Amino acid sequence: MEPSRLTLPASAESIAAFREFVRGGAVAAGVSADEFERLDLVLEEILINVARYAYAPEKGLVEVAYAGEGCGKLRVEVADWGRVFNPLEADPPDLSRGLAERQIGGLGVFLVKSMVDSIEYRRQDSRNILAFTFPAGDGGAIDRTPL
Amino acid sequence: MNIEATELEKAVLLKVNGRMDAENAHEFEEACRHWVNQGKKHLIADLDGLQYVSSMGLRSFLAIAQELQSASGSLILCGLHGLPRQVFEMTRLIGLFPVFETPEQAIAKL
Repeated sequence: MEPSRLTLPASAESIAAFREFVRGGAVAAGVSADEFERLDLVLEEILINVARYAYAPEKGLVEVAYAGEGCGKLRVEVADWGRVFNPLEADPPDLSRGLAERQIGGLGVFLVKSMVDSIEYRRQDSRNILAFTFPAGDGGAIDRTPL
Repeated sequence: MNIEATELEKAVLLKVNGRMDAENAHEFEEACRHWVNQGKKHLIADLDGLQYVSSMGLRSFLAIAQELQSASGSLILCGLHGLPRQVFEMTRLIGLFPVFETPEQAIAKL
């Protein structure tokens, strides 16, 4: 199956359009409707990272592509042309801290890893590409893949 | 997202409906801060109508809870279910807030 692609400015305002676009792919791939909000969340967390870090303080574009993987699974790739940045390398958040010491940073990537089946980063043709398959079986990528 | 605030005797009840995401999480934070700035110590967020929350929303919940805690107050959560509950559980944030099934139960404990 030839992947479908959509390219828009890397900003929070583009997230809703990407959400609708990828949901179309999820329906076609047979992803259960119960999973759509988790898919929205994975996509939002990845896109907000790109919007914040890929080009700042300049602006740029982000491309989302998807293709059905069979068995009700969808493969999604998010690509930008910004500085080299692998969000999967960030330190995992310390979830054991109390309220006063709790840091919010890193929760987005943590949630992404928890909710996808697999996820990998590659740098290719001066692009950052984050590719994931969705939905996860039990536990998500965080339990099975050393990221 | 829609937020409806009701001032009670010992707290303010904020009924949150819809989706809290990167685009609108700041609206929840601003709604809470409005009452914190008026000296309210306890805010009760009724999340029965909340369908979706991303890490940007979690950031707002955490920021307000930390502010209230340092003023000997609290941000109380009620009606958490579905994806928002999963997200609070996965991140273990749920243990950092007083959590009740209904606002009535929360009010009775104040």
